[in-house]
Amino acid sequence: MKIMRIAGVSVNTIFKHKMRAFLIILAIVVGIATLTVVVALTQGMNKKIMERIQNFGPDAIVIHSGGGKVRGPSTVSEANLTKKDISDIENIDGVKLITSFHIASGMPVKYGSKFISCGVWGVEPNWKDAWRTGASRGEFITDADNEHLSKVCVVGQTVVKDLFGGTNPIGESVLIENVSFHVVGVLEKRGQSPAGEDFDNRILIPLATASRRLMNQPLYIGNARVIVYTPSRIETVAKNIKEVLRENHHLAATEEDDFRMRTPVEIAEMVESASKTLKLFLWLVALISPLVGGIVLMNIMLMAVSERKKEIGLRRAVGAKKKHIIFQFLAESIMLTFSGGVIGVGTGIVIAFLIKLSGKPISITWQSFAVAFVFSTLIGLFFGIYPAKKAAALDPATALSSK
Amino acid sequence: MIEFNDITKSFVSGTVRTDVLKGVTFKVNKGEFAAIMAPSGTGKTTLLNVLGCLMKASSGSYLFEGQDIETLNDDQLSEIRNKKIGFVFQTFNLLERTSALDNVLLPLVYADVYPGDAEKKASRFLESVGLKERINYKPSELSGGQQQRVAIARALINDPAVIFADEPTGNLDSASAKEIIEIFKSLHSQGRTIIVVTHDINVARSSDRIIYLKDGKVEKEEVLR
Repeated sequence: MKIMRIAGVSVNTIFKHKMRAFLIILAIVVGIATLTVVVALTQGMNKKIMERIQNFGPDAIVIHSGGGKVRGPSTVSEANLTKKDISDIENIDGVKLITSFHIASGMPVKYGSKFISCGVWGVEPNWKDAWRTGASRGEFITDADNEHLSKVCVVGQTVVKDLFGGTNPIGESVLIENVSFHVVGVLEKRGQSPAGEDFDNRILIPLATASRRLMNQPLYIGNARVIVYTPSRIETVAKNIKEVLRENHHLAATEEDDFRMRTPVEIAEMVESASKTLKLFLWLVALISPLVGGIVLMNIMLMAVSERKKEIGLRRAVGAKKKHIIFQFLAESIMLTFSGGVIGVGTGIVIAFLIKLSGKPISITWQSFAVAFVFSTLIGLFFGIYPAKKAAALDPATALSSK
Repeated sequence: MIEFNDITKSFVSGTVRTDVLKGVTFKVNKGEFAAIMAPSGTGKTTLLNVLGCLMKASSGSYLFEGQDIETLNDDQLSEIRNKKIGFVFQTFNLLERTSALDNVLLPLVYADVYPGDAEKKASRFLESVGLKERINYKPSELSGGQQQRVAIARALINDPAVIFADEPTGNLDSASAKEIIEIFKSLHSQGRTIIVVTHDINVARSSDRIIYLKDGKVEKEEVLR
């Protein structure tokens, strides 16, 4: 076929001008590798954000005592949620369940001669429904534990590793602030919180035990987690909770909230706003560098056209039509950019893996390949068409007589 | 088969108009070996470009095998050049870094039908111009005379109706020039139509008929054989 024969001419030309081909491919490789890395980075970031939202719970609202803009849970001393607050929230339309809990972070915990510091949570039995996680081994906190102020605990996986050296802790006793607790269960692995702290480095004890025996806060509740029926209505429910709390706490219109609320929407905004500028910058770099590659291509091809005027004239003299010349030069450009694209994706993936090794979130999916291939071909087309047209537009007689 | 009727060609550069051909009229018949004699700088190359369908005349009519060239578009002109015309240039115009064989095959890249025996045919032509041993040589490895012989083989590969030669011996020593003339003579004896444009009277003398061009017009014709 004629078209294959002309493509063959393009291939031959590439091999006859290796330095030129190398420079063009190099320029495209740099561009496409950058693009691949950025796609992988952005997707890694998105994945991490989604994981964090998933970890938080797409249908969850968390209420912390105390106002202000501070992030994270409230300490026991600032607890100001009442039992009435909790039961009022439970009656709000759309609320599936609510669970109250206390958090004391950095509590000294001792087992034998080993000593760690970790978060201690006082929880109710429905905590496991609110967080959709419970004991992976042994028992969870029960109603009876709360009634009897039992000194039992369920430990996180990090605690198992750090304190018990990975052996089965069930049946052992630990000292939390010098109070002895009996380990009845091990929590499922949970990963990181939206704020980035280790959710597995904690110990759960009954809420009543926490408020009366360990944390000395029998009246107020530090935090609560609400689960709604429909995640899409979460903002409305959150608004209603806010109203109930403001009324219960007798806050005037001018006064600020004396509690803080977190919804998955806020979590997403929080995580995304942190990476927004970075992402924008990355995309800018990612889009500019293939364009620079394209400009390099166009320059070199234009140079090639004026260098090869005589050849073009000769091809026209022996019967090449304008479209044949366009095809020959365009095929040359696209073959070069496509090769650059293939090598670029490869290089990009290697770089992405190296970044991943350093612990950054990276996600390599088929999208990286697709974006890179489409982009490199488009560059070949877009930046190759002008030199190709210029070559075809040469007057055959003039081109033939050029030096 | 070639009919030039009152062909003119002028070039406009800025406000200056240069009339190069001022009404050229002549005929060349099928199977004829004609020479167009013209001193340098008198529109020789322009005449050949118009003859070879590389550019159109400004006025007049050019009939090629009865077809009016002035009415054809760029693609149709390309096809005529591909199928009907073989060029031999003063500077050979071979592709660098490309073997003699591939140079000969060049016109076939753009042919509608690629003969199955194309390579055999190309080597046969190279053999007939005495380059059997050199089909894989690159132009830089060949002498001027040998390069021009490759160019002649290239002109023949598509079995053209006519061969246009532009000062074919201009860049050659006298021995090589003689060889090239002999090749043209033998091609003519095989029935090919050949038109040589030259300012060298020795080259012109080997043709059947000389058309003298002067000041952009045909001055006289001289029938030799």
